[in-house]
Amino acid sequence: MATIFEVHTAHPDAQYAAQAAQAVFDLVDRLERELSRFLTNSDVARINGLAAGASTRVTPTTLECLVIARHLYDLTGGAFDVSIGTGLPLLELDPDGLVVRAREGGVRIDLGGIGKGYAVDLAAELLEEWDLGASLVHGGFSSVLVLEPPPALEGWALTLSDPAAPARLLARLSARQAALSASGLRKGDHIRDPRTGEAVRGRRAAWTLVPRPETAKADRAPREGPRMAAAAVADALTTAFMLLGLEEIESICAASPGLEAWVLPEAGADGSADLMHFAAPVEP
Amino acid sequence: MEGATFSRSAMIAITVMRVLVGWHFMYEGIAKLTSSSWSAAGYLRQARGPAAGFFRWLAAQPNLLAYADQITMWGLTIVGALLILGLFTRLSALAGIGFLVLFYAANPPFVGYFYSLPSEGSYLIVNKQLVELGALLVIMVTGSGKYAGLDRIVHALITRKPAPAVVSPAR
Amino acid sequence: MAGEEDKNKVMPPIAAGGPRKLDRRDVLKGLSTVPALGLFGYAWQQQRQYDQATLQATAAPAAAGDVQELNIALIGAGAQGQVLTDAMLRIPGLRFRAVCDVWTEYNLRRVVNILRRFKHEPNAYEDYREMLDKEKELDAVVIATPDFWHAPHTVECLKAGKHVYCEKEMSNTLEGARSMVAAARETGKLLQIGHQRRSNPRYLHCYEKLLNEAKLLGRIVTINGQWNRAVAADLGAPDRYAIPEERLKQYGFKNMHQFRNWRWYKGLGGGPIVDLGSHQIDIYTWFLGTNPSAVMASGGLLYYDPATHEWYDTVMVVYDYQTPQGPVKAYYQTQTTNGSQGYFENFMGDQGTLLISESELNYAGKIYRDPNAPAWDEWIQKGYISAPKLQELQSQEEKSGAIADVRESVSPDEHTVPVVLRDPYHQPHLQNFFDAVRGKAKLNCPPEVGYESAVSVLKVNEAIDAKSILAFKPEDFHI
Ligand SMILES: NC(=O)c1ccc[n+]([C@@H]2O[C@H](COP(=O)([O-])OP(=O)(O)OC[C@H]3O[C@@H](n4cnc5c(N)ncnc54)[C@H](O)[C@@H]3O)[C@@H](O)[C@H]2O)c1
Repeated sequence: MATIFEVHTAHPDAQYAAQAAQAVFDLVDRLERELSRFLTNSDVARINGLAAGASTRVTPTTLECLVIARHLYDLTGGAFDVSIGTGLPLLELDPDGLVVRAREGGVRIDLGGIGKGYAVDLAAELLEEWDLGASLVHGGFSSVLVLEPPPALEGWALTLSDPAAPARLLARLSARQAALSASGLRKGDHIRDPRTGEAVRGRRAAWTLVPRPETAKADRAPREGPRMAAAAVADALTTAFMLLGLEEIESICAASPGLEAWVLPEAGADGSADLMHFAAPVEP
Repeated sequence: MEGATFSRSAMIAITVMRVLVGWHFMYEGIAKLTSSSWSAAGYLRQARGPAAGFFRWLAAQPNLLAYADQITMWGLTIVGALLILGLFTRLSALAGIGFLVLFYAANPPFVGYFYSLPSEGSYLIVNKQLVELGALLVIMVTGSGKYAGLDRIVHALITRKPAPAVVSPAR
Repeated sequence: MAGEEDKNKVMPPIAAGGPRKLDRRDVLKGLSTVPALGLFGYAWQQQRQYDQATLQATAAPAAAGDVQELNIALIGAGAQGQVLTDAMLRIPGLRFRAVCDVWTEYNLRRVVNILRRFKHEPNAYEDYREMLDKEKELDAVVIATPDFWHAPHTVECLKAGKHVYCEKEMSNTLEGARSMVAAARETGKLLQIGHQRRSNPRYLHCYEKLLNEAKLLGRIVTINGQWNRAVAADLGAPDRYAIPEERLKQYGFKNMHQFRNWRWYKGLGGGPIVDLGSHQIDIYTWFLGTNPSAVMASGGLLYYDPATHEWYDTVMVVYDYQTPQGPVKAYYQTQTTNGSQGYFENFMGDQGTLLISESELNYAGKIYRDPNAPAWDEWIQKGYISAPKLQELQSQEEKSGAIADVRESVSPDEHTVPVVLRDPYHQPHLQNFFDAVRGKAKLNCPPEVGYESAVSVLKVNEAIDAKSILAFKPEDFHI
């Protein structure tokens, strides 16, 4: 994924921790082979070459990543679109047969906006298998997943800062069992709205915090679904929140307790911009 | 060109030019038609220059894009064939000019514009599209199909009766 | 309409508004450019034939039509077992009936779970003999256990009447490899060894078309190749899924560390030269069409902890080959402390160079024509290789104003091998095996070939210890 993956973990045996990290990196390599657009024999390259009516088999992980991507496409009304406007709904996903079929040709997907988060999710599960429950894993600093905090701490300390002025600290969080994803524009960057093809204006950055589901983690068999894809979801929502209207962001957050979002608008005339925060109202 | 005089050799040269331009158009069209995956989207997405916004917007409209693709593929092929045959020469030259204007506008070699694809030559403002456009202008104003081309036959048939010869609705 | 009157001065009258007839001249001139359309049609036809030829030259053989369903089992559900499973899930007509692995807590459970999710109902086994006893319907078994288990697993499966796909290295010992060849001959069952490059469409294209038919390299005189890897932590295992010591001993492992890192231990694996080198040295032999005549090697454990690494982390080898065209020297290196340049094989002949690797990303097939070699236009026309990439030759001359740029040699034209793999790396080799089981193909790597490869590769570790050149006799490769 041409990006840096890092594992921070607390364990008395450094060698054991290093071996676990090695297992994570091997896993990321494998995902890269399946999800890279540039490798001619990756699942994604084959999907991108599908003619109308043709189909291809993919690995379980690729299919799962696509299913999540499709779900978020629907949830965000197409604002998160791994096909960048070429027609994600034209791909039929058959999770049992591991088959992807293209109803029409010309669909081009790029899982860059979700693959990193998905890899981080799988890495977290691997770390749990290794009983490294007190860990943080991130892909390229923009997809962070925290498990339990290090001993004697309430949570992992995370900060949000202004991408245009990294020294400007916007917020401090203390998090556990959650994924935090960031998307931001530095000078000259731009994001295109897949629904209109136009460059997005008015947003400088967005962050999303997605809690990991509290399903029993300890006694799940290795690699059993359904996946707790908190980081993949956070990645996708963050991308969408760079584009969606504030009301839409508010309604998505209101409908998903635990989900939190922050949006930094483009600086006003006086050069200042205030961070906006969205979250479901806390139930009494 | 009212009042201009063309020698026989000039008309032959213009005819040769017409066939060459026609050939190029036709193959551009046919190559796109026979490629399973061609779409203008890639070219449009890389658009530069004053009109880039419009072209990129177009690239993001799946429905419009599909029309644009069809029009381009068939348009180029038909214009090419008509130019080779010298049939409806003025109209097809005008249509060809229309295509070239669009192609040129999507990626004009203006000062300071760089392309992600390395180009095979060196251009400043004038590129081969513009040169081809110039050739079509000549073909259009000389109506070369009426010298050597099917227009001549059509024209002769139509003008058997004393009626105004309206062969090409190009004007 | 404009212009007609003017043209009348030099041309026959075409139209002046008055009544006139369509004369012969009008028809001739009117139709004069129609032949251009015919010419276009002809040229286009030629172009299409060329495109067709290119496609055919590089297309993979069509997949077998109807598929007879095969019942299969996997022994060894580790890293490679999972890679093979992913590839096999993509091959139509396979039914997983059983999975066997001694790491029941982790690898076995994981693979069985994946298969169940995709509508297979494999039974899970720890002991392969129990599996062979109970699973009578199996057609074929795929084996991806550590090297020292290959011989016992393969021989017993063949004797139980199953066809076998066994991962490379065929065995860690020549006795083991010989027993496998013998069992395959005795039982008449198929045995494919997992040197998957032998079924890779790009390698097949290079071998059949570029080397054998077009002979693009002229006489191959030297070869070099490598597989370099960056430093990596030893493999480990989650504590809670550790295998009880008793079971480890039962299957030939001293402890969990050895179980995970068997490659590095004598008696279990063969170190990086066997793990990595065997893939590429097999290609040297395949492309040259003959087995080596001698080998010299230097190697050592330069970096890792000798307590947990018995084999050499760094190996450099030179093979001698005597081909009908003349002698060849072939260099190979593998080291595990720096990944510089990754892995590739580079064949150098007096007329050209072929640089190739299994990777679809790096060194995915380039062929360079020596400036003095005969032109390759014919092969470009046939679609065997791409047109050359334009060399930026003039630029230097232009800048310096010199007539010719004096340099060591003119750089050769670079062509691409126009074949790409669209499937996972191991799928074509597995497909070849299952096609052969269905009687629709010949094995690309039968046991005799796997054995020859093992003879060449296992000798390297011997040569390192002997510190001298070791000769091969032709009989060494025959059984
Ligand atoms: N062709 C290739 O590109 C390629 C790549 C990697 C590995 N390999 C080969 O695949 C084989 C396996 O390598 P790996 O990397 O997967 O190793 P691994 O250690 O990850 O997996 C080996 C598996 O075999 C199991 N096992 C060990 N002894 C067993 C027994 N007696 N019965 C049943 N199961 C047993 C282990 O529990 C483990 O799950 C090796 O021969 C290796 O050379 C080939």
